[in-house]
Amino acid sequence: MEGGNERRMDEQEIIAGCLKGAPDSCRRMVDAFGGLVMATAVNILGNRQDAEDVWQETFLQVFRNIERYDPSRSFKTWLLAIAYRRSVDMIRKKRRFKAFATRAVFEQAPALNGGDPNPGDPEPLPSALLGKLTAKERTALCLWANEGYTARDISGVLECSASTARVYLFNARRKIKALLENDHGILQNG
Amino acid sequence: MASCRTVEFLYRAIPLRVFRDLLIRIHMEGCERCRARLVSPEVARGLFVRADDVGPVDELWRRLSAETGLPQASPEKPAAWNGAAWRWATAAAMALVVAVTGFWLLDRIEKAGPGGPLAPAEEGFRLGYVKVGGAPAQTFVYQPLGSDTVFVWAHRAP
Repeated sequence: MEGGNERRMDEQEIIAGCLKGAPDSCRRMVDAFGGLVMATAVNILGNRQDAEDVWQETFLQVFRNIERYDPSRSFKTWLLAIAYRRSVDMIRKKRRFKAFATRAVFEQAPALNGGDPNPGDPEPLPSALLGKLTAKERTALCLWANEGYTARDISGVLECSASTARVYLFNARRKIKALLENDHGILQNG
Repeated sequence: MASCRTVEFLYRAIPLRVFRDLLIRIHMEGCERCRARLVSPEVARGLFVRADDVGPVDELWRRLSAETGLPQASPEKPAAWNGAAWRWATAAAMALVVAVTGFWLLDRIEKAGPGGPLAPAEEGFRLGYVKVGGAPAQTFVYQPLGSDTVFVWAHRAP
């Protein structure tokens, strides 16, 4: 509890510093939340290369719009909501580019299929499983499993109702379980 | 079991996502069998990359700071002093010691005056007299110029 309060105070101190434009505070924010944002982006996108772009765009947006942060909300959730939106933008951008590349009869680069992870990168969610989940389902499952987020917390990131977030989570958990057990049962293709 | 099959049928039959979501949520919350078919948090955690796995973000910070124009500062260290601060503090302390010692010595010299401390006259030297017939005589000292020879002439005082 004390640790939580201390972390919250530290967080508020960092945010106050960033509001004043202090470079040290910006660096502390990156140190505190950089790993979380990167892991979330890798889990949504499935490759490190795109995740690094999303990471950079996320923190740029945070530093430029920090005055829009509502202190009554969780900063972590606000930050993850930005990372999620940037990741979805990246997926759309790549999908559009992929469609254009297909029309132009260009040979598809490996990066269009999700990119080859660099050697030494952390192993992303296996692509066979990743492909079966939507971005919202992946995000919901990732936040639930990694961060211990509830449906209400997830709804703050996905900007939907808690009930809808719960459905995303149900679907993701069910699909993954079925895939892991090679089960073709109920609602698998939903 | 029968209700699960009904839900499966309805799920496929209902075209609107909103109603499908409502159906599955209500069913899942009440059905133990379907809940057992959800992946556990432990298994799900093993599938995802975690914040600890991504390593340091120093290189990304350099890129970000170049983009934003922020200096590549390291985090503040409010409690611990760095090496330069310690060197300055040591130099200042030594200068203070030298200044205090110097001031104390100067003060002592000033109090003592030139040539050191003065002892009372009776302790410093003793005055003797040339005496003739038990009484101090009139004494004259002669030294020729350019000679080491000294003549002392004494006669009874009148």
